[in-house]
Amino acid sequence: MTPTKKAFTFRGLAGEHRPTLWLAPLLAIVTLFYLYPAFEVLRYSLTNASLLRPDYEYTLSTFAQVLGDPVLYKVIKTTAIFVIASIVLQLLLGLLIAVAVNRASKRRLPGRVFIRSLVLSAWVMPGVVIGIVWAIILNDADYGLANLLLGAVGLGTVPWLSTPTTALISVIIANVWRGTAFSMILQYAGLQSIPDELYEAAEVDGAGKLQSFFYITIPQLRPIMMINIILITISTLSTFDMILALTGGGPGQATEVLSLRTYNVIFQNYSLSEGAVLAVIMMLISLALTLAYRRLLRSEGTL
Amino acid sequence: MRGRRSQRLMSDALTYLVFIFALVFFGGPLLWVLSLSIRTQQEIFITSLRLIPEHPTFENYTEVFYTAQFSVYLANSLKLALAGSIGAMVVSAPAAYAFSRLTFRGSGGLLIGVLALQMVPPLVVVIPLYRYFDRLNLLDSYFSTSMVYIAILVPLATWMLKGFFDGIPPALDEAAMVDGCTRFGAFLRVILPLILPGLTSVFVLTAILAWGEFVVPYVLLSDPSKLPISIAILNFQGNYAANSTNVLAAGGVLAMLPAIATFVILQRFIVRALTSGAIKG
Repeated sequence: MTPTKKAFTFRGLAGEHRPTLWLAPLLAIVTLFYLYPAFEVLRYSLTNASLLRPDYEYTLSTFAQVLGDPVLYKVIKTTAIFVIASIVLQLLLGLLIAVAVNRASKRRLPGRVFIRSLVLSAWVMPGVVIGIVWAIILNDADYGLANLLLGAVGLGTVPWLSTPTTALISVIIANVWRGTAFSMILQYAGLQSIPDELYEAAEVDGAGKLQSFFYITIPQLRPIMMINIILITISTLSTFDMILALTGGGPGQATEVLSLRTYNVIFQNYSLSEGAVLAVIMMLISLALTLAYRRLLRSEGTL
Repeated sequence: MRGRRSQRLMSDALTYLVFIFALVFFGGPLLWVLSLSIRTQQEIFITSLRLIPEHPTFENYTEVFYTAQFSVYLANSLKLALAGSIGAMVVSAPAAYAFSRLTFRGSGGLLIGVLALQMVPPLVVVIPLYRYFDRLNLLDSYFSTSMVYIAILVPLATWMLKGFFDGIPPALDEAAMVDGCTRFGAFLRVILPLILPGLTSVFVLTAILAWGEFVVPYVLLSDPSKLPISIAILNFQGNYAANSTNVLAAGGVLAMLPAIATFVILQRFIVRALTSGAIKG
């Protein structure tokens, strides 16, 4: 590589074959909008800062106060149920639809593109709108669609959004409706990457359809499913627009997940420091998930 | 032979059973909201499953679009989405190119760092920025809000674009440089045009994400005339009485339509980008 004039003047640091200038805008954005806020969140968590007054003192008592508050554990429990139920249902439903779409495209059955687009339409909608759609569908009265359908088969009406248990179920249903598309796309890509020879060999060996599903398809999809689980966890953890529109976190605090709680503590109770502690917890969870994701990508040899 | 054929028919039937389930579960709510949006107020409370109302009307749409000023909010969303996704491309494309083409110390770690940013919930980012922008008088500003949109989209865009750059052989850059291009010239005039499909898909995907972005404008914008549709419709839901679900439904349809239409038209690109971004990195 012959050094150009430019590379010489910048002493090879900012020449166009060096990464500096290429990465400068990215690094500026990252510093201003990620590193600095992360540092500030950490700093505020060690203070008694409030949105209502400009000055604050450093103290460890905010941490103690938030961690000692039983509400935190209720919120964490709600969040855990929300995340785990979303993972299980989105994985299963996504796999089911992916298998059907994959089969349909091998057999060239009509309707497969329509179904795929329909499922994905739910995913591209703004979260708030998803919440509003489901608030309409799950209306407690007998003219809500869900209750109309239940009534049609003689099951009576369910107060979907006004008891703690049904409200949590409603939030999970809406989240599964939103997130299944992503699982479907991932699993579909995974299915297409499984070589046909594996199935042919299994058939020669006398394996049935179910056997090849459990001994070929599932093990081959395992790595993608692990990645999928992490990505579902991340998107579900940061969900709160949809919940805000569907239940507002209620009734009571029945559907108040960690992200919504963080928002409420800061912007409803004006307690910047307590909210910052919750945000630190969220950052730690993200960090753990990232490390897990990196391990998975490494073990797949894609990184 | 016969057994095989009937087995195939069985499987086809099962496939369509899954399709019907997906049709009802995913299409049902959308159809129902669409149906509500063309009903008169009297017909909201009808307890029957009829989808097409007796007196279909478009009044709900004109009401939300003009009276409730959804035209303004839709335009605001469009501005923010375009600013966010164009900005994200400008920042990400050179960075992704560097990650794909240049060898330098710490590139792997840096790339993982970018991935880690994608896992940070936007709420965490916005909390300190609120106070910071407040002091700098940058609240309620499209400039600062767009910058945060860009920041939130950049990690995803960088990862996806790197995947697309990786798909172009480096020999092409070198050939262009041998012909007298600078590296930046090769990037701009040779490589970027080659990954145009990739650029399109990343652009569309980030624009759709920005269209639905909630927490950033929710915290940083409060002037009613500046709100994007995602916030405006939440306020609208709070202000409207239960007996005007038909108007709310029309608002919902207007808010979801741009994202769905863009997606359906360009989905070939996007679906490919999505899978390559998540799996290959």
